[in-house]
Amino acid sequence: MKKQVTLKILLLLLNVDLIETFAQFCFKKSALLGANFQISNLAGIFNFVKIVFPSLYLWAGLISIFIIFVTWSTVLSKIDLSVAVPVASFSYVTIPLMALIFFHEHISLLRWSGIFFIIIGIILVSKNSMHREALK
Amino acid sequence: MSLSLVAVILLIACTDLCDTVSQILLKASINSLGLHLDTVKTIIKFVIKLIRIPRVWISFIFSTLSLGVWIFVLSKADLNFAYSLDSMRYVFITVASVFFLKEKVGLGRWLGIICVVIGIALVAVG
Repeated sequence: MKKQVTLKILLLLLNVDLIETFAQFCFKKSALLGANFQISNLAGIFNFVKIVFPSLYLWAGLISIFIIFVTWSTVLSKIDLSVAVPVASFSYVTIPLMALIFFHEHISLLRWSGIFFIIIGIILVSKNSMHREALK
Repeated sequence: MSLSLVAVILLIACTDLCDTVSQILLKASINSLGLHLDTVKTIIKFVIKLIRIPRVWISFIFSTLSLGVWIFVLSKADLNFAYSLDSMRYVFITVASVFFLKEKVGLGRWLGIICVVIGIALVAVG
């Protein structure tokens, strides 16, 4: 069985990241609905769930999660978990870049250096997953 | 209203741990199937087989737990701060992959993962 990170796998992971971003947006939107509740006791938790549960944002997020499950499982059937997880961090690169291109948001030097680190990290992990297979 | 810093950090560690358990169970189930996926048809068959495995449902439960705690954290903490700490999941998952899935993580892969963790912390804080 092939175990290297191909372009196809990278694109699938990018897809997971994009849907994940959408899901996170939905979850944050639904969580804000319940932000005013005290969640220190059981009744508070119940009230929080009662407010958040009927939110359409929550359900859009959950459907996204199912799509992610199918895509993610397919990727995991091809590569190691300890490779797939770091490579999936590509969204931390794509989201700031999208914000830069579409919303003309400013990216600080610190954030650029972070993007640089992530890219180096992904290259190292991807390269290493191929090396191991080549040695076998 | 707002939680203490330590409580937020512990909650984020909790959501990351739940996610790690969930990922390990899912990957172990996928490994046990050992199918080769190349067409849409095999992928559909694969997903149907996968959701029949009890371990996958336990994985869902942990995933939901992780999500629940995460939603709670997001309702209380700053998104950037939460995200920067959330990168500890990469370390958790890698260590768990070595111990439970017997994946061989070499020095190069570890270096890459550490770069990713540093990078995410910088992106989130920056």
